[in-house]
Amino acid sequence: MIELQAAVSGALNGSLFALMALGLSLAWGFLKVINLAHFAMILLAGYLTFELATSTGLGPITTIVVTAPLMFVVGALIQLGYERFDVSELNSLLISYGLLIITVQVVTNIWTADFQRLPTEINPYSAESVAIGSLRFPVPTLLAAGFAVVLVVAAALVLERTYAGRALQAFGQDREIASAFGIDHRLLGVLLAGAAGASAAIAGMLFPIGGTLTPDLPFEWIGQVFAIVILGGIGNVPGTLYAGLLVGAISGLVAVIWTPSTSPFVVFSLVVLALVFRPRGLFPQKGG
Amino acid sequence: MRHKGWLALAGIAVALVALPVIRHAADFPMFYLIFLSGILFWAAQSTSWNILSGYSGYFSFGQGAFFGVGVYTMAVLFGRQGTSWWVAALAAGIASMLLGLAIGTIAFRLRSLRGEIFALLTLAIPFILASVARLSKAIDGGQGIVIPVPEAPSFLSQFQEFVFVASGIVALIALAIAYVMQLTRYGWALFTIRDDEDVAEGLGVPTFLHKMIAIGVTGLIAGISGAVAALQLGFVSVEGTFNLDVPLFVIVMSVLGGRGHWAGPMVGAIYVYTLQNRLASGGFEGWSLIVLGVILVLVMLLAPQGLMAGFRRRPWLTAGVFVVIFLGLWLLGVTSDPVTALAVALGVTAVIAFIPGGRKKGPPSIADDGAPRVHHAPVGDEPAVEMVEGGQPLLVAEDVVKTFGGVRALRGVSMTVHEGELVGLVGPNGSGKTTLVNLMSGAMPPTSGTITLDGTEIVGSRPHRVAHLGIARTYQIPRPFTSLTVRDNVAIAIMFGREPLSLDASRGAAAEYLDLVGLGGRADAFPGEINLHQRQLLEMARAIATRPSLLLLDEALAGLNPVEIDNAVEVVRRIRRSGVSIVLVEHLLRVVNQLATRIVVLDQGLELAEGEPSVVMRDPAVVKAYLGRQADVESD
Repeated sequence: MIELQAAVSGALNGSLFALMALGLSLAWGFLKVINLAHFAMILLAGYLTFELATSTGLGPITTIVVTAPLMFVVGALIQLGYERFDVSELNSLLISYGLLIITVQVVTNIWTADFQRLPTEINPYSAESVAIGSLRFPVPTLLAAGFAVVLVVAAALVLERTYAGRALQAFGQDREIASAFGIDHRLLGVLLAGAAGASAAIAGMLFPIGGTLTPDLPFEWIGQVFAIVILGGIGNVPGTLYAGLLVGAISGLVAVIWTPSTSPFVVFSLVVLALVFRPRGLFPQKGG
Repeated sequence: MRHKGWLALAGIAVALVALPVIRHAADFPMFYLIFLSGILFWAAQSTSWNILSGYSGYFSFGQGAFFGVGVYTMAVLFGRQGTSWWVAALAAGIASMLLGLAIGTIAFRLRSLRGEIFALLTLAIPFILASVARLSKAIDGGQGIVIPVPEAPSFLSQFQEFVFVASGIVALIALAIAYVMQLTRYGWALFTIRDDEDVAEGLGVPTFLHKMIAIGVTGLIAGISGAVAALQLGFVSVEGTFNLDVPLFVIVMSVLGGRGHWAGPMVGAIYVYTLQNRLASGGFEGWSLIVLGVILVLVMLLAPQGLMAGFRRRPWLTAGVFVVIFLGLWLLGVTSDPVTALAVALGVTAVIAFIPGGRKKGPPSIADDGAPRVHHAPVGDEPAVEMVEGGQPLLVAEDVVKTFGGVRALRGVSMTVHEGELVGLVGPNGSGKTTLVNLMSGAMPPTSGTITLDGTEIVGSRPHRVAHLGIARTYQIPRPFTSLTVRDNVAIAIMFGREPLSLDASRGAAAEYLDLVGLGGRADAFPGEINLHQRQLLEMARAIATRPSLLLLDEALAGLNPVEIDNAVEVVRRIRRSGVSIVLVEHLLRVVNQLATRIVVLDQGLELAEGEPSVVMRDPAVVKAYLGRQADVESD
């Protein structure tokens, strides 16, 4: 029973990681940018949620009214910069690493390196939990999973069903041909990067609701999130969700079967094995 | 000119030996020795990073892992178990090297996304190692480890002097290795990997081996340097070891100094360490990572060549300004602190280095009108008559099948090329011509079937082995190494060829092949400065410089105007006369008719026809395949 609880809780946590991976995966697949600054936006949005909720009286979820548009703009501006300087895929890694370091240090200077936690009177979700059958889940975990699943499914639908989504897919496959057919890749790219930024804001909002904030969180996320990006298949939206659920469930299970400290190794070893045997991801798309 | 680097290294060595001696005489404060030890430590670490990531282009965010393994090997062996310190230092280097080789074994074998996945893997590894160290009682257990002061050789009176000398030795070794690599095949292999890894492999460069050598050297230096740092620190902890400082610092130092030059990371180390020191003494510690992040972003975007490129454009001006400002401020007593004088002098020098212009870095290219220097022999429409009788079978492909997912690109093709032949491989778009070339050059394995050259099976061999067996190829869209001159593009192929020569000898030998294709006059140009036709000729020169027995020309004449085509046809003839058998993939039937001794027609992954050009071209099935299926063919 405890294994089932661990696996399901792990999968729910994993869906939040899938939400973090979503924007990265889309930017890598369609814009050929590996944007470590995505983690900077998640971190910044987390702290802004904390700040707005404690100082203005906005509910923690309501803060996305402010943070999502803000991060949309930030994401779009960064993409404009990459376009302007014609940054290659590998160079985008180094440049966005610089942006991430700057953000981490700015956050440290403003909010200190100590843990920050929303007080319970502001964060009504923190102590609640819901029982489903014999399983119990904290409300913040369910909230995170809910947002993550809704957003990932929405992203998949937009890509499949809309003109902009299909134009992006065309662009991801062959930039020059797509441009020749009249697809404004610049505008599309900036919109996609903005949307990725907004998704980062929502992921960031979920962290102070679920627990504590520290400035070095991005470096704890990076390994697992990129594992999900690669296992899910770069640019493959449903694959990202499946990979998130799978990685989450495995690390939850490993944590109860052995000890919590072994789960990073197990996950990491699985990722290495997957890289060697399935470098194109676990869920190859049609034609791939 | 050749020995400038050795002179520089010798100069650094003399200064290092002299300093502790002068210090006693001139009564320098100990602080300067500590300051210089810091620069030496970072010079070693950033040079170590640059050997892999700068030379080969494989970005690593995992320098902290190599450093950390070195620190903890020293801490455990010397600090906890009492092994002698120099044995521990060597063990630290070896342990770190083994870590590098393990990472390389996984990441360097991948077929796609090698660079990206390597970078992401190295982001995660320090965090994994940190948790191993924190949890394992045998390593750290979360308590940290105290390291006693080692017994230094007696001629070094103080511990700081010992650290200074040890850091200096490690830094000198690192710089010497980086310099030697830049002069030899070990560095040049990495440069070609950075420019285009698949092409390098196809020209005979054993890319996997050279990447493994590079990451091994990177680990070795970083590990030994980490071990010396552990001695200096006296106490090591997981948080203090596996943090962001090391990976960030080495990246910023190398990018700022210049990744393409052996001395770049050292220059960057001097800049960044001095800047850090001034920020800290000014009370701006909280800003130092922000400043480094900004430097990284700006240099990457605006001056990715780094400071070294600027210094080499204006060597005397920058050196002069530096000396005048540094000594002026210090000796005239404007500032009592030489580190401040150093910081100001470095800042002004950097501004000069980043101003564009000055002496051109590469050797000047010979200006000409862009036309290739080929003696035009009139090329009529006379058919190729140089049939070679009795040639032995050279390349034999049997029942070759290649599928991509569900697509069957080749559905069982058999083909033989005899010695001395020039086989035209033709067929409509999508018929499988380029796939067949890729299989014959070893770039990808067939799904089934065998391919032999002179009786040796090539299926399953890596492309560089196939190149050494005697197969060379060109690419439809030329893929020169863009950071190397035309001459060096050809020299690489000789350097890593079947009878490898040194860099100097290869450069000399390159002239012969450049003359053969008519590019002799453009030897010192960079590929970006020559036109498409010349780049295609360069592809051919580079391919024949591997001294192949069989040359695969994949649409080497695409996109040329009629005059250029006639010229290229003449070059192909000349190559063939030099004794190379050729497979020519070509759309232009006029060219194929002129050159080929035999034609093989592919259609939809199968051989449609084979034989003498004049006969094959009249085959109704061939005409139909070319004119389209629905076209009702009335032949001729």
